[in-house]
Amino acid sequence: MAGWSEKILDIDLSKKTYKTYPLDMEMARLFIGGRGLGARLLWEMVGPEVDPLSPENVLIFTNGPLTGTGYQTSNRFSVSTKSPLTGTVLDANSGGFWGMQFKKAGYDVMIVRGKAERPVWIEIKNDEITFHDASELWGMRVFAVTQKLGQNNNKRNVLCIGPAGENLSRIASIMNDRERALARGGPGAVMGSKNLKAIVVEGKERPAINDPERFKFLLYETRKLLAASPLTSQALPEFGTVVLMNIMNNIGALATRNHQQTQFEGAEAISGEELTEKYLVKNASCWACPIGCTRISKTEKVEGEGPEFESTWAFGAQCGIDDLPAIIEANTLCNDLGLDTISAGSTIACAMELSEKGYMDSDLRFGRADQLAPTIEAMAYRKDVGADLADGSLRLATKYGHTELSMSAKGMEMPAYDPRGMQGQGLLYATSNRGGCHMRGNMVGPEVLGLPKMIDRFQVQGKSSFVILHQNVSAAIDSLVVCKFTNMGVSDEYFARVLSSVTGIQYDTGELTRVGERVWNLERMYNLREGFTRKDDTLPPRLLNDAPTDGPSKGWVVQLEPMLKEYYRGRGWDENGVPKPKKLADLGLAGL
Amino acid sequence: MPFVKLYANLRKLAGTKEVPITEATIGAVLNELVKRNPPLEDVILENGRLRPHIVVTLNGHNVIDFNMQVSEQDVIAIFPPIAGG
Repeated sequence: MAGWSEKILDIDLSKKTYKTYPLDMEMARLFIGGRGLGARLLWEMVGPEVDPLSPENVLIFTNGPLTGTGYQTSNRFSVSTKSPLTGTVLDANSGGFWGMQFKKAGYDVMIVRGKAERPVWIEIKNDEITFHDASELWGMRVFAVTQKLGQNNNKRNVLCIGPAGENLSRIASIMNDRERALARGGPGAVMGSKNLKAIVVEGKERPAINDPERFKFLLYETRKLLAASPLTSQALPEFGTVVLMNIMNNIGALATRNHQQTQFEGAEAISGEELTEKYLVKNASCWACPIGCTRISKTEKVEGEGPEFESTWAFGAQCGIDDLPAIIEANTLCNDLGLDTISAGSTIACAMELSEKGYMDSDLRFGRADQLAPTIEAMAYRKDVGADLADGSLRLATKYGHTELSMSAKGMEMPAYDPRGMQGQGLLYATSNRGGCHMRGNMVGPEVLGLPKMIDRFQVQGKSSFVILHQNVSAAIDSLVVCKFTNMGVSDEYFARVLSSVTGIQYDTGELTRVGERVWNLERMYNLREGFTRKDDTLPPRLLNDAPTDGPSKGWVVQLEPMLKEYYRGRGWDENGVPKPKKLADLGLAGL
Repeated sequence: MPFVKLYANLRKLAGTKEVPITEATIGAVLNELVKRNPPLEDVILENGRLRPHIVVTLNGHNVIDFNMQVSEQDVIAIFPPIAGG
């Protein structure tokens, strides 16, 4: 069937063997690809008895039916696994070029299981799979490995871990194409636990398209829509994602100094405007992307991709640091070492607060830009203070007896948006299946930017319906897989039409959203099976009890409980957050 | 005196980051702003109303009514269509 390659590559590192077998096409129709297909396979393969860092955990790399077709932003791919950071279901997705190449290699899914006796890297050239000794690569950083293994954007693409993954940091990322990241939740540690340093792909197959004429027309229409939208044709290319810094600060929803404040006096100095004026070298794009939001930035010490808004915030406002060159360098260092920037920055901020309050014996202090790089280095190698920080803020704060100072949900560090100024965002964090995350739907659109329409960010009643819709749509987009920024210029309806033209299966907007709802409920069931309960749908006490004393969010805490009750009802779950049998049956998930 | 703060590409169009404007209401402030900086008019206003996705805040709170009163210490912020995450 067009769209899918209909083939799974299944690699067992313990035996250094592989096999291929057909993809279950009914499963593909129901879960499409990417995050959805990954979650469905993970449900079958990894149960509660499996330690995330044991050989029994798996890495499931997935692309989707749109990947590699040339549709705008059809470059993305996912990795699904049980998270070593949170213990929840996890998928992380990334752009760049590797996902397109992986699709051209002729597979929808690659499962990596077991553990190699010694470090290995894998080379995939369509049907030719080779295991290589990685002894010489072990210990090398991401940029060096990527270069050594022959990265060539359109022909040969390298995915690898850095020292952080090798040292099993639970906030380690998997990097691809040098500076793109499968960042969140610690997939790099899972790869490190398997002694797998890198996966290199070269592909020759062109993905088949069911109705090329219709597809070509939709490609043309999408190009026009993206060019007409001021968001995708001006805002993102001109200023990148960091342009959010000033508006989040202006409305009092920019988490600052480990969420102790909601406004940062140094926001302007680390804004998208400042980055563009002083440090931007040029824009860059992922494969088949006309938006081009990627920044290539340069300081006296480094030149590289980024930083994105969340990374700039994590090392900036969250650490009380207004030194943009130091932030750019911290971002590049994380990419080279293979660390998730959001978790790394927020964990450092947690350590700064623990230290300032005398709970932890270290000299880390808010505002100390000079401490960023050495602390990040120490985290990747588990040295000195880094040994405590390498596994994220929750384990760090718990070790020092102050769990409440970890600004995380389900153990994953939250991004920049302080939910005391955005009630819907608070509900979104608390209910996110992979923990504190802005990519499982993001209420910054309706609550701050007026996308598609402005809603009252402090409103509580009725907010859950927006959150549910955003979560479902987000899960659907993550299953296609395309970049969520495309959705700022192109409606969900277009995605359904493109998917239909590529696969020959008729999807409409409702069915696509329903796929997203199916994925969301499956992920929920996974977490329940792991032992998560209603009590885990929560936020740090600071956000629930301590209202900001000044700024536009003064006096507000997250009104979680009423929103959560409404959310469970809206989802068709019982009062404990368990999907009712009827809901599961309606979604084709009966029997889970 | 109330200040209007401009962000992203509005700064380039106006040639400045902020403009002091003394007017009684948000609507009057915006009209005076585009009168002084004509290139901003097409970006911010359309038939006397805000263009889609333009965000205007008064002391960090969204402006939903052009008749909102402006006083001496107020800060009005104007953001063009922006996105990110």
